[in-house]
Amino acid sequence: MELQQKITILSGAARYDASCASSGCSNDTPQRGMGNTSQGGICHSWSDDGRCISLLKILLSNDCRYDCAYCVNRSSNPVQRASFTAREVVDLTMEFYRRNYIEGLFLSSAVRESPDHTMEEMVQVAEILRNEERFGGYIHLKIIPGSSSDLVRRAGLAADRISVNIELPSGESLKRLAPQKRKESILAPMKFIGSEIGTSLVERRKSRKAPRFAPAGQSTQMIIGASPETDLQILKLSQGLYSRMNLKRVYYSAFVPVNDDNRLPVLSSPPLLREHRLYQADWLLRFYGFSAEEILSDDAPNLDESFDPKTAWALRHPEFYPVEINRADYATLLRVPGIGVTSAKRIIAARRFAPITPEGMKKIGVVMKRAKYFIICSGRPFEKTGQQPARLRQTLLLGDGSELAAPRQLVLPGMG
Amino acid sequence: MKKYLYDGTPEGLVSAISSILESGDDPQQVFLGVRKDTLFEEGLFLRNDSAKAEALFERLRLRAPDAVHTLWYFMMAETEDIESSLMRYVALAFEHGNQVNGYLTHPDVKAVVGTARKAGRELHRMKGLLRFEQLRDGTWLARMEPDHNVIQPLAHHFSRRLRGQEWFIYDVRRRSAAHWDGGVISFGTVEQFSRPELSEEEKVMQQMWQTFFKTIAIPERKNPRLQKSNMPAKYWTYLIEKQDGQNR
Repeated sequence: MELQQKITILSGAARYDASCASSGCSNDTPQRGMGNTSQGGICHSWSDDGRCISLLKILLSNDCRYDCAYCVNRSSNPVQRASFTAREVVDLTMEFYRRNYIEGLFLSSAVRESPDHTMEEMVQVAEILRNEERFGGYIHLKIIPGSSSDLVRRAGLAADRISVNIELPSGESLKRLAPQKRKESILAPMKFIGSEIGTSLVERRKSRKAPRFAPAGQSTQMIIGASPETDLQILKLSQGLYSRMNLKRVYYSAFVPVNDDNRLPVLSSPPLLREHRLYQADWLLRFYGFSAEEILSDDAPNLDESFDPKTAWALRHPEFYPVEINRADYATLLRVPGIGVTSAKRIIAARRFAPITPEGMKKIGVVMKRAKYFIICSGRPFEKTGQQPARLRQTLLLGDGSELAAPRQLVLPGMG
Repeated sequence: MKKYLYDGTPEGLVSAISSILESGDDPQQVFLGVRKDTLFEEGLFLRNDSAKAEALFERLRLRAPDAVHTLWYFMMAETEDIESSLMRYVALAFEHGNQVNGYLTHPDVKAVVGTARKAGRELHRMKGLLRFEQLRDGTWLARMEPDHNVIQPLAHHFSRRLRGQEWFIYDVRRRSAAHWDGGVISFGTVEQFSRPELSEEEKVMQQMWQTFFKTIAIPERKNPRLQKSNMPAKYWTYLIEKQDGQNR
């Protein structure tokens, strides 16, 4: 089979993986080598779906012995099968990198013979890149559940980031839709990776020469909307993954129906808005000091479609507002709808010089569209206060007539 | 209001700012702009003194290193008409030290930091969007037309990253070029440019990249508006993936 045809098959099969991050670590170019990584990551292009391309995201093979209901590569699907050789992937990575098309490689694979066999082949690609080509760019390896810890360790030593896909938000759904995969075989390597990363960090504090294990951390991904879990269940799961397993990122992937299967829901289109709301809530967990239980409750276990999760929280907690922007601390400022991490830091920096006026808020670059209802400046309100929550809900929903309604499809955050 | 003029070069600007700050004039009451040599132009011309410019940079580096960084990016923007803001910004940087960039409620800080930020954003963007093409002789060429003059920091970025290959970066609009020979970067201007022939392998790899680009998008999520807002059309001229196999 020609290389171009393989690319078509094996990038087409890889595109449902959401992660494309190239951030989280900074490596220098190796001696007589090629390539480095940058802490903030670099996007090299944006594909027709608007998602960023920073890595050569590709499968080593789509020839799978598993038959997971939601997956385009399932064994019972009549799709064309293809596999790369290690050399083909290495050359493609190097040639794309020389031309500045990519930051590096994101390699995943279907499981053809056994998890160990596939994992061994994938690790070899990364090891050839590092040792023979002296490649210093970004490598993200997917870990195949069920592969030996020895291979996982080799993967972590060669790659910048490694990830195990949790696939679905609960063990029951996994049993139903991916009967050949087990929750334990997914969680075990995640725990192992977490502890290896921790050990490596401790060792490297003692000696700069100690080997680095997945310096950009581990991430995971789950499919949203293929199974019946609520958003609260999903957020609690993510919260646990962040706090207990020290994950860098959890990716949510709106379920795209690629197979006919009576175990799967019938959707007219992928649940993109739900995916977007989950990302917003995920941000609240990681950067805004919210807990899953604050964002959702058993009475209202799903995220509001009309409002972002922070605005929804604000509407339920009128007693928290208005926030005095010239006095409130960082954590309090972060609870104001429309004020993000950047704006909160800028407010704190600017008010060291002089109290901030409403005019000043605009100069700083704070988007006032939503914030104006929730703040006061040196005692003076921006908008008529005393709005009843129900009334405010209306105003926020309809806007003041100057803005267009928010589009239903929003930005997928690929960075971070 | 007192009016001063400088020669229009970045160095001339910095040395003029140095002169004004030394003069004891109140920076709020002073105007600084480029000399246009028109008949009725008013103002005192301040000579370009490279030692003076250098000394100001050094003093600022000690007092407010972040402001030096901002100044550096500001120069990439090649904006005119806000030199007075820059002069007052430098005065504020000496007064407040490294915190000065946080003083965004001040109009001059806002103008300078805002301009610098825009330049920084485009520099970051170009690190991703620049495309190298392999020529017949084995060297590499990347062409670009950025709004800001980012070629210097961009060349430094690629001198670390693509250390092992000989390359040129060419800014088509400014006719300026950077050359990396595997050991040293040199900068220059290009009088006449004709694009050399590509290597055979180059054409093959461009096709591979176009194929990858096409298939990596999820058809059910097609979103050209989002694509355009992340990657404005003005950058598409030199993007291989946006050429659909036509010759440029």
